[in-house]
Amino acid sequence: MGMNRKWAFLFLMLACISLVSGCWSKKELTDVALVSALGIDIDEKGRYVGTFQIINPGNVAGGMQGGGAGQGPSVSVYSTTGNNIVEVSRRASTKISRRLYYAHTNLVVVSDELAEKEGLAAIMDAFDRHPEFRTTARVVIARESSAADIVKTLTAVDKIPANKVIKTMELTEKRWGEHVKTNIQEVTKDLVSPGKEPILTGFRMIGNAKKGEKMENVQESALDAILQADAIAVFKDDKLVDWLTGETARGTLWVLDKIKSTGISIDWQDKQEAIAYQVVRQKTKVTATMKNGQPQISINVQAEGDIDEANVPVNLADPRVLLRIEKALGKEIEKEIHKSIQHASQHKTDIFGFGEAMHRSEPESWKRMEKNWNDEHFPKLKVKVNVDAYIRRTGLRSKPMHFGGHLRVGPPVGQRVKAVGFSTPRG
Amino acid sequence: MEKARISAYQLFVLMYLFQLGSAILIPLAIEAKQDAWLAILVGMIVGVVPFFIYYSLYQYYPDILPTQYTERIVGKMFGRAISLLYILYLSYLSARVLRDFGEMLLSFAYPETPLFIANALLMFVVMYTVRKGIEVLARTGELLFTLMILLAFSGLLLVVFSGLIDLNNLKPMLEEGLKPVIKVALTQTVFFPFGEVVAFAMIFPYLNHPKKVKVAGLLALGLGGTGLALAMAINISVLGVDLVSRSQFPLLSTIQSIQIASFLERLDVYFMIGSIIGIFLKISVYFYAAVTGTANLFNVKQPSQLAYPIGIIILFLSVTIASNFSEHLEEGLKLVPLILHLPFQIILPLFLLIIAFIKRGKGQKEKRVQRESAPRRGEA
Repeated sequence: MGMNRKWAFLFLMLACISLVSGCWSKKELTDVALVSALGIDIDEKGRYVGTFQIINPGNVAGGMQGGGAGQGPSVSVYSTTGNNIVEVSRRASTKISRRLYYAHTNLVVVSDELAEKEGLAAIMDAFDRHPEFRTTARVVIARESSAADIVKTLTAVDKIPANKVIKTMELTEKRWGEHVKTNIQEVTKDLVSPGKEPILTGFRMIGNAKKGEKMENVQESALDAILQADAIAVFKDDKLVDWLTGETARGTLWVLDKIKSTGISIDWQDKQEAIAYQVVRQKTKVTATMKNGQPQISINVQAEGDIDEANVPVNLADPRVLLRIEKALGKEIEKEIHKSIQHASQHKTDIFGFGEAMHRSEPESWKRMEKNWNDEHFPKLKVKVNVDAYIRRTGLRSKPMHFGGHLRVGPPVGQRVKAVGFSTPRG
Repeated sequence: MEKARISAYQLFVLMYLFQLGSAILIPLAIEAKQDAWLAILVGMIVGVVPFFIYYSLYQYYPDILPTQYTERIVGKMFGRAISLLYILYLSYLSARVLRDFGEMLLSFAYPETPLFIANALLMFVVMYTVRKGIEVLARTGELLFTLMILLAFSGLLLVVFSGLIDLNNLKPMLEEGLKPVIKVALTQTVFFPFGEVVAFAMIFPYLNHPKKVKVAGLLALGLGGTGLALAMAINISVLGVDLVSRSQFPLLSTIQSIQIASFLERLDVYFMIGSIIGIFLKISVYFYAAVTGTANLFNVKQPSQLAYPIGIIILFLSVTIASNFSEHLEEGLKLVPLILHLPFQIILPLFLLIIAFIKRGKGQKEKRVQRESAPRRGEA
């Protein structure tokens, strides 16, 4: 009996080891294709075209020079079509020998055409629902490029193009504040919220798409094709309606309290953009109230920062002067905010979440306005903006070198080009 | 009834984990929208009432199992019938929790594994534990409790430090007034999970210090309820009401949102371990109650002998009670509370308590019990 028991136990243990070790649906690493980015376009027949950026592990590892690895491109790209996302994904098996694995997909690129015609809602459900797909994956809109181009273009410093796009977007949001990083979860949240509409960063491929796909693209110092963050896509309901650029885009980020640091330039003594102020930290508060039965929004911004550049003879050692500069800076930021609000009002889309603020503070009135908030109430909204900008430091120098009067002040007013263009691509 | 003793602390641990159990997985009380956490707290406070009913019955009969005292209260035939119904109720509930586990596992991690296999893996562990008796179960609970607390605290810190919490999502509070909150509390949270401690009526007699049952029970209710309310408040403040209400497992979505310093992310395992601990304990307690009850009712000398046969039945039951997850949830949140929980958690125990009270006459001991339970009867 005792012996029998022992054998039975041993048998059970062995059975467990072989059966319970989690090999039910095992996938060897050599059988999965790690999808780093997924681009979605729409073709003439209205079908989705999915472009999969698949990592070539052998070509990513092992440093830049030699070591055997790294001869081919770091990613391979395949495209398939289908009537919905699942169809696109499953049909890819006709072209790719490995099972598509989405757990590391950090980027979804949607073409502007698709976003305008079909809307985002139609494609977001698949990403939101699938357990493998991460809702923390970033979403961008391909602006005046196809999503496929964004996914195909090889990049230099960051070997995996998806990472380059994500890191660029995150960095520029932090440093410059005219773009915003958004993930699937945030998009779906904004899509369903009646008091806030989604915004997404646009990316465009600049240069020659065909050359961008080739290894030569990354073997030059000035790349033939680069990917650049370009404008913020504004949505109404789930459709792309407009693009915000420059100050209008940054104004939006101010309202959303997403500015981390940026550079603000103001005119001084008839010289345009003479003083540059670097925002180090800021806090924006949006409050919604009802005044005489009318919704009203007030925006309070408190920004703190340093003077980074001064190209006019201005006495930065004088606190009274700094006070005047602070005033001017506040005005400048206010102007940006007003610009962005005007812009959104024209399109009747509340990208700032004013509706949500209203919902929080005036739930009773909100119930009345909820249905036609975007079309009726939001454009007529009274918005008060108050910006306090504080200068804390002026860098390692106090007065600028012009101050002595020996140095002529830069070129005359109005000769400089103000717009930030897309000019020639640079690495 | 096996010869075993557990401490008040062990009872507390079991009850605490039991309540977190499967309740922490699902969008609990989300019908109350952003006030879900409030509905949970209200449910917890009202949930003290059923607990006192079971506690009072236990005070009357501190040394025997409910399956025995039902006989003493309402006579042999009715008593046995009630006991049998309770055993079926407990078995069904353990099958339900087992199904919760399987559905969770399959929806999120193992889509290609058959439900039966997933459920069987856990159920065999549960059967093994329960076969070993209540003392082993309680000690397992103690071990897992430490792990759970570590997980909960580090998880909380991670969520906080990832900057995901937006308390604005919890506003406006009481948008539709108190009514929806009370309604959800009284139709859902008071039964699930708080009233479910009815299973512990089968475990109270094992306490080594019977006087400490009250403290341990109330503490477990209070901390369990607070934990659940906190978890739900965090879910809503991270995901927003809409996303929580559309999520099968909101806590999972919350944990998946964590991204700290671009390397602390994909912490799904937190959710996995936490939920398996809770679910394991919950199934074990239900299952243990069912097994001891059956053994007691049918005079089986060794309750452990019943662990495997009943376990297999529960395993099959868990796969067959619903044909899909939506059906399973609909039954669990809409039907079970009113059709099963209400009679088994409140009506029957209250009925038994009243009869026991009348039968007992007015002894010295009963007066004390009366003072504790009588004012609360009206509310229930």
